Amino acid sequence: MRQVLASLWFALHSAGQNFRRNLGVSLAGVFTMGLIIFLVGGSLLFTHSVDTVLQGQEQNASHLKIYLSDNASLAAITNFESRLKDDPRVISVTFETKDQAKQQASQNPSISSALAVLGSNPLPASLNLDVRKLTYLSQFNAEAKAMPIVDSTTPTDYNSDVIGKLNTVITVIEWVGAIIAIILLTISIVIIMNTIRTAVYSRRTEIEIMKLVGATDWFVRWPFILEGMLGGLLAAIFSGAVVFGAYRLFVQAAQGNLLSVPFDARYTITLLIVLLVGGVAVGAFGSFLGVRRFLSA
Amino acid sequence: MSVAVAERSAAPPQHALRPVISFHGVSKVYPNGTEALRDVDLAIHQGDFCFLVGPSGAGKSTLVRLLIRDEAPSTGRIFIDGQEVSRMSHRKLPKLRRKFGIVFQDYKLLTRRTVAQNVAFALQVTRPGQRHLREKVEEVLWIVGLEDKLDKFPDELSGGEQQRVAIARALVHRPRIFLADEPTGNLDPDTSWGIVQLLLQINHRGTTVLMATHNREVVDLVRRRVIAIDNGRVVRDEAEGSYLREGTATL
Repeated sequence: MRQVLASLWFALHSAGQNFRRNLGVSLAGVFTMGLIIFLVGGSLLFTHSVDTVLQGQEQNASHLKIYLSDNASLAAITNFESRLKDDPRVISVTFETKDQAKQQASQNPSISSALAVLGSNPLPASLNLDVRKLTYLSQFNAEAKAMPIVDSTTPTDYNSDVIGKLNTVITVIEWVGAIIAIILLTISIVIIMNTIRTAVYSRRTEIEIMKLVGATDWFVRWPFILEGMLGGLLAAIFSGAVVFGAYRLFVQAAQGNLLSVPFDARYTITLLIVLLVGGVAVGAFGSFLGVRRFLSA
Repeated sequence: MSVAVAERSAAPPQHALRPVISFHGVSKVYPNGTEALRDVDLAIHQGDFCFLVGPSGAGKSTLVRLLIRDEAPSTGRIFIDGQEVSRMSHRKLPKLRRKFGIVFQDYKLLTRRTVAQNVAFALQVTRPGQRHLREKVEEVLWIVGLEDKLDKFPDELSGGEQQRVAIARALVHRPRIFLADEPTGNLDPDTSWGIVQLLLQINHRGTTVLMATHNREVVDLVRRRVIAIDNGRVVRDEAEGSYLREGTATL
């Protein structure tokens, strides 16, 4: 017990001492890590904001009218409607009668006069769907076409062109976000490893002596790993604060303009925790890799 | 005067049966093809004091590095205290190295720690939680004659004093074998003599001492066992030898 506590104290003490004594190198490392954590955090928040905005757009676009044939029986329609209501992909279904359709269309004066000339009501009844995801629209479009009660000439108001484009934009943004995150992560691990290796290199005599007098590998490693964790923690705290502040400013500025980006508190807190844990983990892992080369004899 | 062949590596009777260091047909070839040691056989007993002599690049340093298993031999077997180290796993090395006290030509002191901290460092990293640390450090610094320099930094000391600190650090965990690789290489003759006196004193307390050196004067004055290495081979091993083969200008 006494030995373990003494080892822990030695590791903590020398980690702190090394950090202070090599303040220049330590701060360079913290700064580099901070910059990368800032970039990762910033790009994650940015992607999240863009995603939120686009998801809003998606919700607006996720409507589908299924036009019903005039000779469809009420029982068949009710049956179809309840089946749609039970579908997990569907948010809501409303039934629109021919009269309601006419009333709706009459608000447009040119359609209204055309209807008056015709005398009869050519507008079909419809089931109006709200679905959870844009991609479901094409599925429902295909399913509707196969239904006998659906109007065979114009089954739905599905416009594959517009929806396809919106879908492409969302997919592209998600992919670009993912690729940027992967690139940043790779760069960060390489930079952090090299920064820590420089820090370790400046203390190779100490490692050499420790090995010569018979210190175990883990005993040599711990101070460096703790130091890396300390650096990672500091970097995460500073860059987390900057990311958080920048996000608030961005949300405020966006609200002044037309684009409304909601301030997502839950996502932000989760992100800050992830950045802290990630900073500490990357610091520890980078130190582990950095020391490894000096221990391999 | 020539040394009789029969005297070669004659072991005094008080030695234990098992040598503390033994080499059996040890060769070392580095990956770049350099043959640093060739077929070396050696036996060093507890309490011996040996000089390891030879020109630069002869293989003295390789021999020291093989002993502490900083390098593994290409062929042959090495035993320390009856334990084979030539095939020892990496995990067991710390324990092996605690049997040695090692000093080098360049002292290898931590410049930002005081004399006492440098010495204490060796105990802190091998025996964390060691009781009476301060007393142990003071005692060993008294042995090397630096009891009044405890709180000085290495930069404030002379070369000889720095080497004494290194010796104190190597002694503080009471090693069985003391290795000195060119300990007087950077020192003037008087200071060198002081360091060798100190090593003899350490040997007198029962520690086996192996000193690799170029210092002809010292070897000739002390008259202890001399192992001469040239071109990777042991060319001479005398119980009370001199730096060069008696009456010649060669090793």
